[in-house]
Order: sequence, then C-alpha cells, then structure tokens
Amino acid sequence: MKLNIAIFALLIISLNSCIENDYIDDFVEPVLRINNPIDTLGINESYQFSKTYFNNVGLQENIEATWESSNENVISISQDGLAQALSLGNSLISVTVNSEDLLLTTSFSLEVGSSTAESIQKVSGVITTTSSYVLEGDFIIQQEQGGIAINIADNYKASTALPGLFIYLSNNPNSVSGALEIGPVEVFNGAHSYQVDNVSLNDFSYLLYFCKPFNIKVGDGRIE
Amino acid sequence: MKNIITTILLLVATTSIFAGGPWPQKKGKGYFKLSEWWVVFDQHYTDAGRIDPNITTGVFNTSLYGEYGITDRLTAIINAPLISRNYNNNLVSLTTNEVLIQGESINTIGDIDLSFKYGLTSHSNFPISISLLLGLPTGTTGGGTLGNLQTGDGEFNQMIQLDAGSGFKIGKTNAYISSYLGFNNRTREFSEEVRYGVEAGAGLFNSKLWLVGKLNVIESLKNGSTAESVTSTSLFANNSEFSSLAIEANYYITDKVGISVSAAGAIRGEIIAAAPSYSFGVFYDMNK
Repeated sequence: MKLNIAIFALLIISLNSCIENDYIDDFVEPVLRINNPIDTLGINESYQFSKTYFNNVGLQENIEATWESSNENVISISQDGLAQALSLGNSLISVTVNSEDLLLTTSFSLEVGSSTAESIQKVSGVITTTSSYVLEGDFIIQQEQGGIAINIADNYKASTALPGLFIYLSNNPNSVSGALEIGPVEVFNGAHSYQVDNVSLNDFSYLLYFCKPFNIKVGDGRIE
Repeated sequence: MKNIITTILLLVATTSIFAGGPWPQKKGKGYFKLSEWWVVFDQHYTDAGRIDPNITTGVFNTSLYGEYGITDRLTAIINAPLISRNYNNNLVSLTTNEVLIQGESINTIGDIDLSFKYGLTSHSNFPISISLLLGLPTGTTGGGTLGNLQTGDGEFNQMIQLDAGSGFKIGKTNAYISSYLGFNNRTREFSEEVRYGVEAGAGLFNSKLWLVGKLNVIESLKNGSTAESVTSTSLFANNSEFSSLAIEANYYITDKVGISVSAAGAIRGEIIAAAPSYSFGVFYDMNK
C-alpha cells in the first residue's frame, strides 16, 4: 500500500509541469513622432510630412491625425501633412492624434527661407547594462541613403557568457515585441557598425540587447 | 544558459551507504531507483555570480538509476532519464494581456550516464574506489522554435573519479562519511571541470531511515568556447560552475523497498539556475 502511494506520488509530480504565464511590465507612454522634420522650407515649395503614433506598448498604430500651422499666412498645411511655403517667416507646425480620449500633440518650428534644409542627420546614445552582464559603450546613428548606420564606439564591451545575444531597434525598452531585429551580436569588444536598410533616424527610440533564446534583457541605449 | 539546465542535474546525485560513494556492490547485488527530479527557476546566477531574472523554465526528469555488482569489486552503474521534460512559460504583456512569446516544451529521453566503479581496497575500514563515467548525448538539444529547449547538452563527456569514505557507528547508530574528487573531460568545446564533494549520513531507527547531507562543487576550468570564439548564434553557454548543498532522506518501507526524498540548491554559482531542485523516488535495495 505504501509503495503504491509512493508510485502514485511519482506520477503526480511528473504531471505537474504545465506551461504557465510570466508577465512583463511593457507599458510605455504613447508617442507621436514626426518622421521627417526639416529646419527650413523653401519659399513657394511644398513638403510632405508624415507622422507615426506608437501606443502604450510601443507598437505602431495607424490613427487619424490633425495637422495645423500656427501662421497660415506663412505656411499652409493640409490634413494629410502636405505643407506649402507661402511667404518668408516662421510657423509652428503641429500634429495631433486622439487615442482613447488621450490628445497627443507634437510640434516644431519651421522657417520659410530661400531653400529647403533637412533637419538633423545624426543621433547618439549610450549603451548601458540593465543586468549583471557586462554591456557598455557609446553609439552614433547616422542617416544614410536608404537607411541608417549604427556606429558603436571603441569603448564598447559586452559579456560573452550569454548565448544568442541579439541587437534590436525598438520603441519599448522592455520588450522585443514589435522591435526590428538587427541581428546577432558578433563583436564583443571595440568599435563596429551595423547598416539597417529602410529605416530612418526617427523610427525608433532604443537600441536593445536581448539574449534572444531565453528572452533575457541584457541592456539598452536610449536614442537621443 | 543551456548549461544551466544540464549542470543543475548534478545537484542531486544518488548516494548512500548502499549506493554511490566508495562502496562497490557485492557480486550479484544491486540498488535501483525510479525517481522524479525537478527544478523550476525564474532566475539564474550570471557570469558575475549575481542573480538575474529569466523566463520561468522547468525541467522534470523521470529517471532510472541502477547499480549492479559484476564482481565484488566492479560495479556497473546507469543513470537514465527515461522521460525528460523541459519547458518555458508564456511571456504575457501586463499592459495588453497578449501573449508576446508562446511557451513551449519538449519531452524526450535525457542524457544517459554509464559508469563503472572499481574498488581499490577490499574489506577496508577506509574504502577507496575509482570510477569511469561516460556521459552519452542521448538527450535533445536545440528543441523548440527558438532552439532554447534541451534535455541534454549535446556533448560526450568522460569523467574519472576517486571516492573515499568510511562507515562507523555513533553509539548504536550506523553512520558514514565519504568524499570524491573527479575530472570531467568534455567534448564539443565545453570547458573541462573539476568536481568534488563530501557527504555524511546516519541511519536512524535501526537504519530504516537514512538522513544524508551533501556538499557538491563543480569548478569550470573555463577552457572551452564562448559566444565570441564560436558562431555568434551559438546557444551553448559554457563555464558553468557552482557549489550546492543537498539534504536527502531515505526510508525503508520494507526490508528492500523504500522511498527517497531530497532537496538541493546552489549557494554560489555562475551561469546556473538560482532555485532549489527536488526529487522523490522509490528504491529497491538488494543488499538488505
């Protein structure tokens, strides 16, 4: 009888191994971003602005936007973001979305000048570890034809202890869901770079380092 | 982290005065155990020895362990995880309640260890034995969509081990103490290891109940490959090491049949689970 109970207990233990849920706090403040800002718009020229809205988990959502110009005599703008420079001067360009009763507005100052001038072409940041694994270094991201170049500085170091370390571009520092996987980390010390096609400077907010097979976040770098 | 799973299997080893240790089985006698061993962990020791979180991972092994005396000095030993289950939990968004990464599992046979133990001394109060262990890569590696599930480490290893110990009495209570020192040579660019440990046990109630305490240590020589020296997408972590404490109780229900329970956990480690493991088994002891 005692032996039967012992064998029954063995069976119960072996069956008590079900897949359950682990929860991750992946909330981020929603963000409305103008993808292609410029500093100066040439007189009598037009320019098509575009926006992207990222929801409370950093995923892109297509929702209706309202474009406005604070000075319609200088710059007019249509509801799909097409701006027309009418006279010399300045105007505040704003875009607003309404998501779940939350009004989110992003704006920037635009000058009308003799010719159109692109905005910033370079952003930067610092990679820092968020774990006990070594990960550190500076980086610069530059806009290039057809994509971006992520240049990691020579003060970069990463632990070689974790298998499957991958680098991502993301709008959520806590999750790779919806992130763009750049690829496996192949350099663990010193300067190196990544070319990422079909991406612009304003598409993402973070560089993320994850141990992909085991979903362990190793570190990140906010793109400033 | 793959090594996290395989190395923690070593946290509990079947040993008592009737199995394991420096004592070979007598010719024609043996000790057999059917057991369930498991660990569920959501954090691990990093390469810096600190504790970091990870997605909850479980390993459940249903194993058959057996020792059989070929001669009075030579014992054949097998440790076979007949059913080995490895799973990861779902990863769910706290914000949207959506499953971000689907949990997965595999159920296969695990890595089988075969070994031969030879008693260097016979009828001694201080027996010494030498063992050769062959670790067969019969388990599965790279299971699941992400290749992160495993029931084996995919490498063949051979370990040579010296055991020494002594049985004695404390009053009317039978007791023993033993220790071992081993060198584990591993293939496929895994680091080699030095293993050592000590255990002590006492048989209470006319030796019907054996209580055992163990200290096991694995020191990695850290001479294997890393993510930098092999392919960047390699899933093989390396250089795991730990010190663990274990307690075990073996109770004879009849003269020959009993139950065994144990718990073990790392008190220090690198690239290894930071959670206790447990086992429960039924054994058959031909020596009694």
